[in-house]
Amino acid sequence: MPYRWGMAVDADRCTGCEACVTACHAENNIPTVGPEQAARGRAMHWMRVERYVEGDFPDVRVKFRPVLCQQCDAAPCEAVCPTYASHHTEEGLNAQVYNRCIGTRYCGNACAYNVRFFNFFNPVWEKPLNLQLNPDVSVRGVGIMEKCTFCVQRIKAAKTVVKAEGRALRDGELQPACAQACPTSAIVFGDLNDPESRVSRLARSPRGSKLLEETGAEPKITYLAKLAWDESDAR
Amino acid sequence: MNRTLDRSLADDLVRPLFHTSVWFYGLALALGTVVASGLAAWGYQIWNGIGVTGKRWPVFWGFYITNFVFWIGISHAGTLISAILRLVNARWRRPVTRCAEVITVFALMIGAMFPLIHLGRPWLFFWMAPYPSSRDLWPNFRSPLVWDFFAINTYLLGSLLFLVLPMIPDFALVRDRSTGLRRRIYGALALGWQGTTKQWHRLEAAMQIMAIAILPVAVSVHTIVSFDFSMAPVPMWHSTIFGPYFVAGAIFSGIAALIVAMAVLRRALKLEAYLHPMHFENLGKLLLLMSLLWVYFVFAERLTVWYGNEHSEMSVFWTHQTGNYAPLFWTMVACNFLIPFPILALRKLRTIPGVVFASVTVLIGMWLERYLIVVPSLGHKALPYSWGTYGPEPIEIVIMASTFGAMALLYTLFARFVPIISIWEMKVGQHPHRHALPEEDEEAAGLWRVRP
Amino acid sequence: MSPLDRRQFIKVTAVTGTAAALAACGNPEHQIIRFIPEDDLVPGVATWKPSYCPLCAAGCGVVARVMEGDAEVFRNGQAGVMRMALAKKLEGNPDDPVSRGKLCPRGQAAIQVTYHPDRVAEPLKRAGERGEARFVPIGWDEALAEVVAQLDALAAAGETAGLACVSRPRGPLRAALVARVLEGFGGRAPVAWEAMGDDVLRRANGVSFGSHAMPMVDLADSRYVMAFGADFLGTWHAPVTFGVGYGRMRQGRPGVRGKLVQVEPRMSTTGASADEWVAIRPGTDGVLALGLAHVMLAAGLRQASDAGRAGAAIAGWSEGLSEYTPARVEEITGVAAARVERLARELANHPPAAVLIGGPALAHTNGLFHALAVNALNALLGSVGQPGGLVVPPDVPAPASPAGLASLLEAAPTVLLLDEANPVFDAPPSWRVAERLRAIPFIVSFGSFIDETSAFADLILPDHSFLESWVDAPPAGSDSSPRVAGPVMRPLHRTRSMPDVLLDVSRRLARPLAGLPETFEAFVSAAAPATPASASGPSRARATADAPAAAAWAPPRFDGEAGEFPFHFLPYASQNFLDGSLAHLPWLQEMPDPLTSGMWSSWVEVNPRTAERLGIAQGDIVEVRSAHGVLRAPAVLLPSVGPDAVAMPVGQGHTEFTRYASGRGVNPLAILAPLTDEATGMPAWSATRVQITRAGSGDGSLILFAGATRERPDTHEGR
Repeated sequence: MPYRWGMAVDADRCTGCEACVTACHAENNIPTVGPEQAARGRAMHWMRVERYVEGDFPDVRVKFRPVLCQQCDAAPCEAVCPTYASHHTEEGLNAQVYNRCIGTRYCGNACAYNVRFFNFFNPVWEKPLNLQLNPDVSVRGVGIMEKCTFCVQRIKAAKTVVKAEGRALRDGELQPACAQACPTSAIVFGDLNDPESRVSRLARSPRGSKLLEETGAEPKITYLAKLAWDESDAR
Repeated sequence: MNRTLDRSLADDLVRPLFHTSVWFYGLALALGTVVASGLAAWGYQIWNGIGVTGKRWPVFWGFYITNFVFWIGISHAGTLISAILRLVNARWRRPVTRCAEVITVFALMIGAMFPLIHLGRPWLFFWMAPYPSSRDLWPNFRSPLVWDFFAINTYLLGSLLFLVLPMIPDFALVRDRSTGLRRRIYGALALGWQGTTKQWHRLEAAMQIMAIAILPVAVSVHTIVSFDFSMAPVPMWHSTIFGPYFVAGAIFSGIAALIVAMAVLRRALKLEAYLHPMHFENLGKLLLLMSLLWVYFVFAERLTVWYGNEHSEMSVFWTHQTGNYAPLFWTMVACNFLIPFPILALRKLRTIPGVVFASVTVLIGMWLERYLIVVPSLGHKALPYSWGTYGPEPIEIVIMASTFGAMALLYTLFARFVPIISIWEMKVGQHPHRHALPEEDEEAAGLWRVRP
Repeated sequence: MSPLDRRQFIKVTAVTGTAAALAACGNPEHQIIRFIPEDDLVPGVATWKPSYCPLCAAGCGVVARVMEGDAEVFRNGQAGVMRMALAKKLEGNPDDPVSRGKLCPRGQAAIQVTYHPDRVAEPLKRAGERGEARFVPIGWDEALAEVVAQLDALAAAGETAGLACVSRPRGPLRAALVARVLEGFGGRAPVAWEAMGDDVLRRANGVSFGSHAMPMVDLADSRYVMAFGADFLGTWHAPVTFGVGYGRMRQGRPGVRGKLVQVEPRMSTTGASADEWVAIRPGTDGVLALGLAHVMLAAGLRQASDAGRAGAAIAGWSEGLSEYTPARVEEITGVAAARVERLARELANHPPAAVLIGGPALAHTNGLFHALAVNALNALLGSVGQPGGLVVPPDVPAPASPAGLASLLEAAPTVLLLDEANPVFDAPPSWRVAERLRAIPFIVSFGSFIDETSAFADLILPDHSFLESWVDAPPAGSDSSPRVAGPVMRPLHRTRSMPDVLLDVSRRLARPLAGLPETFEAFVSAAAPATPASASGPSRARATADAPAAAAWAPPRFDGEAGEFPFHFLPYASQNFLDGSLAHLPWLQEMPDPLTSGMWSSWVEVNPRTAERLGIAQGDIVEVRSAHGVLRAPAVLLPSVGPDAVAMPVGQGHTEFTRYASGRGVNPLAILAPLTDEATGMPAWSATRVQITRAGSGDGSLILFAGATRERPDTHEGR
């Protein structure tokens, strides 16, 4: 059975620290665009931690929600791409074929989560920052869309390793950069086709829900609700 | 009597082809400069990247797509109106059809440029086209952009035929009146037109077929353009009303564009004898109808959204109604309804200047409508953290201005090289049965039947 | 044409390849010298090497992913390209007790320190005025000779005490070696300077628990945690360790979910995650802590004697803290009496429970009182040293008191060694650091970057980055041995390890120093695991001297009359830059702030009600005026700060700190009052009052990633 990669994000654990955001930059060669471009809305964060503030002082409540590509099974971004640059893989990933992208940016519109980012200019790495680039991840040029890949380069590498060692991939052995960095382990990644994997069990959790499920895109990331404390919890 | 009338008619209408005023060169130069600056701006954009525009995350579409929809809308002026008028055999259409059809062809050409200008990597635009590649890669036929590709090309081809077919007899006329190189060029364009009965019948039949065939194509084109929006799960895009709404809006702006073009031609080429106030009044009435239809659609669209009260749609709704985009929204309503309605509804105001003024406001209003469809929705999707605002950069305005310049330039050149009013159709209008019985009046028919 | 067979293919490629190579000879890019590549490089295969993140005092163990790459380097006086092992990414080291395989955003960005385009690549000599940051390159030998000459002159004049060293917190072994060199020469003891450091808490812990180490909480086993001001999930102490524990506290135990209560006047990242957030008046935290203790004692939930030594440090403890009734607590702190009662019962009834204090809560004139009060409350809860309770590691040297840097500057040393500390930027303005640096005859900086302080240096002798050198980090967990790692990669630039340079200098002196190791590597290798950081340090003697009289509540002093300066000014360590020492890393500059989503900018957080009253809209420029200075920054409207306070992140406002940080935003530390904690002399950076006025509409300097603040924004909100 092929893998079907999925993720669970636990809002009860997430502290909004954004380790995942920087880890994603480091792993995936995501450029920084600088203050002028950031002010013009061109900052690229495949992973972002949305925060929503409710209430008034002193009864303030803050909600953190890491948002990344939901790797939808019925992804609108795939249907609208005229060149198949955005397409579905056998393992359920929304792949973005950078070389095939011509930059209509239609996928970015169709994505309800706004997790697709466009290279408005050629990325710049002031020397020697370029030495840090991950050789396993292509550097995207001007005019194309990019987004979270669930660290597909790590998936590929892990599959190569288990194939060479003639064994099955162990649950938790493979992690994308965000999940690996997350101090509170709020992000869990794994194979949804394995009913015993942690991510599968969390996907069945009563706390679980999908973000913007009503759009019918069948997202593969389960968000686990933040709980409220009551006396009985701690006993 | 008839013969002198014919002659003066022909003289009047081919005059611009034989007499070039200084104004023409001046105008062509000025417009050419505007177009060249637009091309230079586009070159700059290709060299540097789309970042030189104001587009941003998450408003990935902006001025270019606005202009795309606007120009495709304008293109509905011509062919659709002329086809309908032909089919219902409205007599007053005769001086109007060609200027209308030309608008279609040029507006389509310009409109179809915008998706290319808009591309992140325009040099790879041909990947949208279906062609056999060594890797068996085809475009994604599920994508509305690929539907656009087919729809626009079909419409462009159809409109071109629809425009060129009735030009053949006029080319022949010009051929017969000229010598040298010009005679050879127009001779080639006339495709050996001799004005035989058989040819006339063929032309009539072809025109009839085209007029019928072009109607569904025209309707489908703007429906498909609307699908670019309504197929995406974006608040206030994802709506079933978009197809007819866009078609109505397209015809609305198209008529307005036609009225403005006719008024300019009338003045510039001194065609007062052919383009009568009656033409403007009739088109004005049509414009009035479309204005009412437009208001109806806007109301129906908004009522549904408001009643539905879905929160991301409501955030777009309110940003239109009372939020950041309210000034643009209410300007649009004023331009498309509040101003043109009284002008067009009251006979006293439905004069040529009145109708032209109303048309200009409609053009502005319809451009704003496209802008308000594209931008606020993208900036207000379901997750408020990712909201954003778009504003154009100078380069987008330059490129937009240059397309208006291109339209004017193409129109000027066209009027310089082709009789802008269909001479033979005017003649047919003067002698309603002539073409059916050409041998009745040998002398008059001689105008058409030329010995090689 | 017949298809190409293998033979033909090789021929064709050989011919075209040679032709291309010949053609390339004309291109200067291809004439660059290629050094012999490092051996043991396997193309495309990554290896993992351990190191320690140097960006904060926690010292997370990391592993660096190392792969081959072509680096432009300088070797033997020649520029060229070398295929070498390069660190590509940092991950938490799963075997490390601090990081436990995880890392914070700053740790992820630490790799940019090594590859920073504005790193000092070779020794520099000052060419302009002090502070102008104009330098010219100089060779290592020449530079070292100059340092040696200065030190020899000092020794010849018998003024060896004129040698001083200021560093930012470093690993204990490196600190010990530096201290030994200075001690051997006869200089002053080195001073570790951290602008928003925890000296107050360390001192309090010495009093309450007999250890000056920073406390931890065993969150994973805890059922109830209350934190006063300590942003322990974001910026305070060891956020990664705390984060790992917090995840387990929340969801790691079937059927048990611990509660986090955060007490602070401005909501921090930790407060944003808390189950209950308690707004408190600034500078009154200790009163609430003692109020909670009072309720427990009065209700017989705990006995006063449970608190032992920590309780004895509080005046009136054994009498049941009769001064701190809930009603009185409400009066002082603004926390409702009923709530005090409830919190006390919850805290007492959910063992194991722990209480933490740190950060802004201690940056008051009465800071030590708050720390002692919280320590006593912890002791009363009975969870100190227990699973799920407060963990107090073995004693370490006490911090110098009063604040070491201030006294060092007052002593006016002749030769100052600077090891990446940046007091010109982050020390209280009243210490007049820049002015005093100007008066020091000779300053040597070992910094990798030219910052506001090293701009005053006469020489910059750039250190290796942590990935290029031996590093050590403070002991953690059950093991009290320092954590040590070797270099991950070879140096990119013409830099030298700072401890090795010191050792080199000490050998070159006219009277070479004796008894020092050959290299830092030899030193750390010799440091047996049993040798803890308790190394030397003249300040050691003070450890026993810091037991003051029993602490009692005294209202905090604030600078500025409440009438003229109606707002508390609450600077806070930013999630991106901590105290500003990380503002040069582009990833952190572009990382959206967790609460405001600000990038590349400074801002003033204003309560929306205050803003409405003063006519301030989001993004408007606000003038913040204290009795000691004025600054202007754009406003961010957030209900997470009270109507009587404004808050500002620390970190921006550098005048000289690489291309990414220079001239960006404003530094809130620059308008602080010269108040200090009365017991320790540490800056009381939460004790300034300000007035704010609208100074104009937005100038575009506020760059936010987020469009809207609320999930269901009102019509006009957002963009």
